[in-house]
Formats: sequence, C-alpha cells, structure tokens
Amino acid sequence: MDKKKGVDDTEPGPAPSRPVDRFGFIKTEHSNSPEGILKSRSTHEHEREERRIRKWRKMIGVGGSDWKHYVRRKPHVVKRRIRKGIPDCLRGLVWQLISGSRDLLLMNPGVYETLVIYETSSSELEIIRDISRTFPSHIFFQQRHGPGQRSLYNVLKAYSVYDRDVGYVQGMGFIAGLLLLYMSEEDAFWLIVALLKGAVHSPMEGLYQAGLPLVQQYLCQFEKLVTEHMPKLGQHFQDEMINPSMYASQWFITVFSYSFPFHLTLRVWDVFLYEGIKVVFQVGLALLRFCHDDLVNLPFEQLLHSLRNFPEEATDPDTLLPLAFSFKVSSRLVELDKEYRKKLEGPSASSSSKRFQPLKSRVMSRASSHVSSSPNVSKK
Amino acid sequence: MAANAGNKIRNAKVVLLGDVGAGKSSLVLRFVKGQFVEFQESTIGAAFFSQTLAVSDETVKFEIWDTAGQERYHSLAPMYYRGAAAAIVVYDISNQASFIRAKKWVQELQAQGNPNTVVALAGNKADLLETRQVQIEEAKTYAQENGLFFMETSAKTATNVNDIFYEIAKRLLQGQPAQNPQAGMVLSQRPNERVVSSASCCS
Ligand SMILES: Nc1nc2c(ncn2[C@@H]2O[C@H](COP(=O)(O)OP(=O)(O)OP(=O)(O)O)[C@@H](O)[C@H]2O)c(=O)[nH]1
Ligand SMILES: [Mg+2]
Repeated sequence: MDKKKGVDDTEPGPAPSRPVDRFGFIKTEHSNSPEGILKSRSTHEHEREERRIRKWRKMIGVGGSDWKHYVRRKPHVVKRRIRKGIPDCLRGLVWQLISGSRDLLLMNPGVYETLVIYETSSSELEIIRDISRTFPSHIFFQQRHGPGQRSLYNVLKAYSVYDRDVGYVQGMGFIAGLLLLYMSEEDAFWLIVALLKGAVHSPMEGLYQAGLPLVQQYLCQFEKLVTEHMPKLGQHFQDEMINPSMYASQWFITVFSYSFPFHLTLRVWDVFLYEGIKVVFQVGLALLRFCHDDLVNLPFEQLLHSLRNFPEEATDPDTLLPLAFSFKVSSRLVELDKEYRKKLEGPSASSSSKRFQPLKSRVMSRASSHVSSSPNVSKK
Repeated sequence: MAANAGNKIRNAKVVLLGDVGAGKSSLVLRFVKGQFVEFQESTIGAAFFSQTLAVSDETVKFEIWDTAGQERYHSLAPMYYRGAAAAIVVYDISNQASFIRAKKWVQELQAQGNPNTVVALAGNKADLLETRQVQIEEAKTYAQENGLFFMETSAKTATNVNDIFYEIAKRLLQGQPAQNPQAGMVLSQRPNERVVSSASCCS
C-alpha cells in the first residue's frame, strides 16, 4: 500500500495498515464515531435491513423504471422512506432519480465525454491544486493521480467548461467527491448540473457565482430564522457579534459535505435531494437547537468553537433529522426570499418569483442547447 | 493601553490572507496545535482559532481568522480584516503567482483596512528551496517599501511560525513605533469592542 501520505514525520506515524471506517475514511483516534465502524449486526437487524432493501427495490423498479410512477402515486410514502435513510447500496441510483440528473444524462448523450476530452478550462490549475485537498482522508481520493483523484478532476473540469461563468469554486470539490463515492463520473457531473441549474428545485448556482449572491441570501435568511425560532440565542449571537457567515457559510456552500461526520452528510443528502435547500436550513436550526442551552451561555470564542465542533450526540442523524423536520420553514423561506429580493432589486422587481420554482424545462433546454450551440460539442 | 493596565491578557484579532494553497491554514495549525498535515483540506468560508502567547510579562490572546484563498471568496474577506489588529499576508515562495496575489492583498489592506493594522508578509514553504520562485531579496525590498514586516516561514518544519506571531504580539504591545503609537488600541478586552464588522447581510 502507498504509505507516503497524511501526516509528516514529526507526528507519531499512523499504524502501517490503516483501518478505514465503513465509508472508506481512514480512521483517526478522533473519528471513532459508532456509526463509522462496521457494527456487528444481530440477525434480527440484518433481516430488517434486507426487508427494507426489498421494499426500496420494488419502489424503484429495474434501473429506476417504476420510480416516477411510484412517486406520483405515493409521494408521502417516498418522502417518509427517504427521511429514514436510503439504503446505502441503492443510494447512488436513488440520488440520480430524485435529483432529476438521470433525465439530464439521458437527454445529453456524449456531452460529458466531450467536455472532458475536447474542451479546455481556465480553471484547470486551480482544480489541480485542490484535488489532493479534497477528502484527503478517504482512501478513494488519497492516491496521487489514482482513479479517485482523476475522476474528481474530470468532473470539476467538465463543470467549469459547462458553465464558464461559474467555473470552478472551492467547495464544489466536496460535493463532487461525495457523489463520486456513489456513482460514475458522468452521473456525478449531471447531478451537479441538476442541482446548480435547478432541475427539480430552485437553482443553486448562485452559491458559486461571483459575489456569492446565494450564500449571502441564505445566510441572511438563516439569521432571521434563528432569531424567530430561538430568540434568546439570536440575541446572544448579536451580543457576541457572531454572524452566520462565521459558522454557516460552508453548511450552504457544501451542503454539509465539508467537515461533518460522513454518515450524517449522507442522510442529509438523501433528504436534501428530495426536499430541497430548506433541509439545510432545518438541519442548521436543529444543530443550534440541540446545543441551545450550552450556546446561550458561551462567550464569543467558545461559541465559535462549539459552532464548528458539534458533539457526537448532536450529529447522530436519527436524533438530528427528526429535530430538523420539526422546524417548519418552507413558507417562511418563500416570504424571506421575496423580502430579500425586493430589498436587493428595489421596488420595480417582479421577475424574481421565477427563481423559486422548479425549472426543469429551462434546464433541459439549456442542457440540450449546449449540445447544439457549442461547435466543439456537436462535432464528435 | 493604559486603559487595561490591571489586566495582563490582551485580545488581538489576526486575519490570514493569501492565495489558495499558500499555507494559511497550515501556518495556523502549526501555531495553534503544533501539527502539520501533508494534504490540508482547502478552507471553505473561514475558520476561527485562538492561541495565547506570552510576551515578557504580558499575554496576548490571538483570535485568528483563517480565510479561504480563492478569488471567488474575496467578498467574504473584508468582514475578517476590518478591525483586525494584525494581518498576515501569506504567499508560497515556490509560486510566483501567489506573491503577486499577496501584493494585491497588501494593496487592499492599505486601501480598505484599518491604518493601524500591523501587516506581516509571510513567505511560506521556505523548506521548498529547490523550487523557489520568489527571491528573498525581492520580498524583503517589497516589504520595506510598504512598511510590512517580513519573514520566510515553513509550516512544515515550523521555522519562524511562532516567531511571526511573537513579532506581531510585540509590535501590538509596543504600538507601531514608526507611524502609529496608537496601534495598541486595537487590542481589546471586551467582546463588544471587537471590531468584527457585524453588519448583518440583512440590515
Ligand atoms: N512543503 C511545504 N508545504 C506546505 C507548507 N505549508 C503548507 N503546505 C502545503 O500546502 C498545501 C496547502 O496548504 P494550506 O495550509 O491548506 O493552504 P491555504 O492557504 O490554507 O489554502 P486555502 O485554504 O485553499 O486558501 C497543503 O497541502 C500543505 O500541506 C510548508 O511550509 N511547506
Ligand atoms: Mg486554508
């Protein structure tokens, strides 16, 4: 095994054979979260899991053939099951189905390959610089120029060509990396397109555009929600001069795929892909609520520390997610969105409400027009 | 400074600025935890650390903001450097482009920052001598011309890492002799004197 990675020689070197958790992350003394370790399951639990997978398979059908039908007939069943967590072995497929990326892929055959092979991007060097700094503790991404790093590079480069205005932005790598653990390069690419261009939910590209407009907006909305749901904490943040960009910007920029326990990240993504960005707000609120009574007593510095290092109990998905769903934020978010836009654009703005609708049709036309409008892409 | 004469612990807000991969996080990690990792995750947004340092009979407590280097995150930076007692502008001695970027940061600090802010220029990765692209003389001259103090550092070998923070602490405690005897005022004890721009995005 390749051993020249990780820690420098002044550190007590890690054991020669490096144990990984069940997701492939190399274990450190700190990351012994119970979820990360392969639990020896009782036969009973095992059978229950098998049953669950069978149910899911039935819901999906062969290669996803029954999915749309099922969702249309029983959306609430789907929602409930997703909230309980998608079985890990089906996760990659289900993510593609619920995000709308499967459709994009099917409508754009050959496009990804062309982006990767024939196009060049001004972001290439920037991407390369970050490749070995994205999930450096995961075995798949650790090997220099190994398959993990190569596919990460390809996906990021392809996106930076696909949308040259956005290009490559630090933070995308964590999303791409997460996806690549569950699907092929091409699938991961279209899932990113689906998210950023808004295949099912409102587009998220504003998180990465110049000036980070959507980050600013979400943080502002988040701050309001904190004050509304936890007035005491909101006041305390104000007194201590903590604003959400100090702790929550990566929550939005990477959708909890950066520096959170991986088992939590996965469960958040299950729900996020189905229900949209409001999940990030809900999970954020739940984290604050869970630690509320501690947080309200902490001064600036400890407060910041706690907001970056949540205790293990707080990041257990089976505790955190139900708490998250107890925050009803959808309609308030729509209001806050309108308010925010009004403030930004002045009184004459009216086209703004468009952004909050799923824009499937627009993405589709954009994705396919890319094929025909770019000379390099169509000659293949 | 006389205001808190009874109390020997001074808080000082420090911000690290510089190009992607110059080694901002690594410098902080070395200073705060005494560690170095070969593949440090890129910083998304900004990260906060703190560390105290004793300087003669006083203690300076650094509140350190480590920022993200990518140009796209530029819009988040002012909130961290505004009101900072000190800024460390970091470049990578094996990367000329990072030096150019460092100069841009210095310009921006001069134009937008607090004139009392102590600015340090750190030529990091000083261990990478074979691949050096920025000559030490060039950086030294630039620093002199711009009233910065300059050190080459290595987060990897720990060379000059504590020293740069020590030097900052000393200058903060003395006030900047050259131009500004008041610089020490930026040090503050009470949280509400902390001049982080709390300008909320909404208000
Ligand atoms: N040889 C050597 N490598 C270093 C040194 N400092 C940092 N590095 C390496 O350079 C890479 C980038 O370091 P970071 O500390 O993450 O850089 P950064 O400035 O925080 O980068 P961003 O967070 O992306 O803006 C990492 O892989 C480090 O291991 C150093 O002094 N010597
Ligand atoms: Mg960093």
